[in-house]
Amino acid sequence: MNTRYRIGWITLIVLALSLALAASVGAEEVLQAIRVKDEGPLVNPEAGFWMGAKAVQVTMIPQIITIPMNPNAAIKSLGVKAAHNGQWVAILLEWKDSTKSDRIMLDEFGDQVAVELPVQYKKDAPPSPMMGNPGGRVNIWQWRAAFQHDIEHGEPQVRDLYPNVRVDLYPDQVLRAIDARPYMGALGVDNPISRPTHSPVLDQMAEGWGTMTVQPEQNADGKGVWNDGVWRVAITHPMASMTENQPRLQPGDETLIAFAVWDGGNREVGPRKAWSPWVPFKLAK
Amino acid sequence: MAKVFNWQIGREMDYPYEGVRPQRQFGMIMDTNKCIACQTCTVACKTTWTPGRGQEYMFWNNVETKPYGYYPLGWDVRILEKLGVQDMSSFPYKGKTLFESAPGGERLLGYLPDDLDYANPNVGEDDSYGNMPQGAYLQMPHMQWMYYLPRICNHCTYAACLAGCPRMAIYKRQEDGIVLLDQTRCRGYRECVKACPYKKVYFNAMTRVSEKCIGCYPAVENDQQTQCTITCIGKIRLQGFISAPDKVREDNPLDYLVFVKKVAKPLYPQFGLEPHVYYIPPVHVPPAYLYQMFGWGVEEAIATYRKATDDPKLLGALLLFGSTPDIIHHYKVEGGHAVGYDEKGAEMVRVPMSEPIHVRAAYDERYQTYRTNIS
Repeated sequence: MNTRYRIGWITLIVLALSLALAASVGAEEVLQAIRVKDEGPLVNPEAGFWMGAKAVQVTMIPQIITIPMNPNAAIKSLGVKAAHNGQWVAILLEWKDSTKSDRIMLDEFGDQVAVELPVQYKKDAPPSPMMGNPGGRVNIWQWRAAFQHDIEHGEPQVRDLYPNVRVDLYPDQVLRAIDARPYMGALGVDNPISRPTHSPVLDQMAEGWGTMTVQPEQNADGKGVWNDGVWRVAITHPMASMTENQPRLQPGDETLIAFAVWDGGNREVGPRKAWSPWVPFKLAK
Repeated sequence: MAKVFNWQIGREMDYPYEGVRPQRQFGMIMDTNKCIACQTCTVACKTTWTPGRGQEYMFWNNVETKPYGYYPLGWDVRILEKLGVQDMSSFPYKGKTLFESAPGGERLLGYLPDDLDYANPNVGEDDSYGNMPQGAYLQMPHMQWMYYLPRICNHCTYAACLAGCPRMAIYKRQEDGIVLLDQTRCRGYRECVKACPYKKVYFNAMTRVSEKCIGCYPAVENDQQTQCTITCIGKIRLQGFISAPDKVREDNPLDYLVFVKKVAKPLYPQFGLEPHVYYIPPVHVPPAYLYQMFGWGVEEAIATYRKATDDPKLLGALLLFGSTPDIIHHYKVEGGHAVGYDEKGAEMVRVPMSEPIHVRAAYDERYQTYRTNIS
């Protein structure tokens, strides 16, 4: 990278940081989780109680701190609401996206949205909102449109993606399941991105860029609905911490919350995304 | 970016990570003059590693016809076009590598192919360059030409797939230099597919993560050559370990052919990855084309190769191709044989430098007829 580029990027980074700062100062607005009577996981983005929750508009900034990046990330703003029932906390995320991208192929990427909370919230030393930092662990609940599609319509088979494909024989048609495993790629080693899922939301943790790890125990759930160019996604998670890698939340608590969003139609994936700084988050008593 | 030394371009270059060479480096030499594109290697690789769901059009090994064959479509001309015209007039290389041409916000210059680019693995098969005009005649190099280019992952020293992955899910093994993609850590971002200029990382739409050639590491760990090498009916391949340029061993057939005799050349060295599949260039193809594809010294390589019969040590190394499934660590020519040894010096294979010739009488007494073939 030559000097001209370097100076360009430093300028951009400074600009981004000041923007982030400005946004966080501007976002004095607090996300309030209202207390609701509905029981169990609050997975329905169209539940009636959401009418009673106040929306916070969160400005989304293209991720331009680490490489690779997409400075033209498509989604600029997220409408966020929150609720809890004493057992489960839920976040409702709403954003405009004219294309519903829920199919994954080499040149097709899926829409995604993620909610991030510090695992242990220390007011004077919060973890970095950019996926945490070494020692500053964050819990990330990531909803994927492709998983939502799988749950509603079943996982796509080869024939669904390539209607005219012709194949003589697959190893799993002639071998015992255990012997066919080596031919299943990431499915054979239970990669959580590959394996069949019961929830469209991945329960994950991170301590900085490149460290995102899917937790062994999956507790997050949710549902996304796309209608008339708008995604409405509810993400829900138990408030009681089941492992040391999840926040322990109680009614009346104050903590922080941050967001990331990917527009699959704009080929956004991984670090090519839009994100937000921390937003203060309060749970009603 | 760190500064690393790339011997194939003769200078230091930028790379996102510090330059650490493995203890041993997987290497392969392919003699393009002997390849007939029978695709036995392709089928051997396919049935061994990629017959599963989502791997239907995934060929870790493929053989394409040059100049018009590509898998995926246009893989080399597209990245060459993006890289732009570079100065290859002298050595060390004065132009830019893919790492040095990284656009803002990217680790290196690359592109993500379309899914349809993989739909025609045999595109351009046997198409030759240009039409045969009136008055055409056979000359060297040929006026109209084509040749076959077998390809696998190059297990590069400065792998672009590894550099492109933001999760460090791709790693280069210390023990043999094989570049592997961790199937448990990959999240399917496709940054590696975009980054690899040889397009030897593939996306599996069924598992939603990427996969690549594993250099048959279970075989290599047992001192056996790869499936694509040992099944090659034309005996065009030799797989083993190649040394760093300052540690060349003349009795290692790969070192001898690449560093001493310089008859085998890397594929697109100007990209800056230091790839470790080396090609003996086709003797009948115009040097300008070969120069772009295999870099500096192609004409000298062809001249040396054409005189191999006068050079027993060179001929001996070439005769070891396809002679044994074992990796040959040492070799020598003695008593009219090229002899290959394993790492501990045990003899693995003995190949006669020339096949014995039996001459039969021109007239066959038994059938009372003349023979057309007497040797």
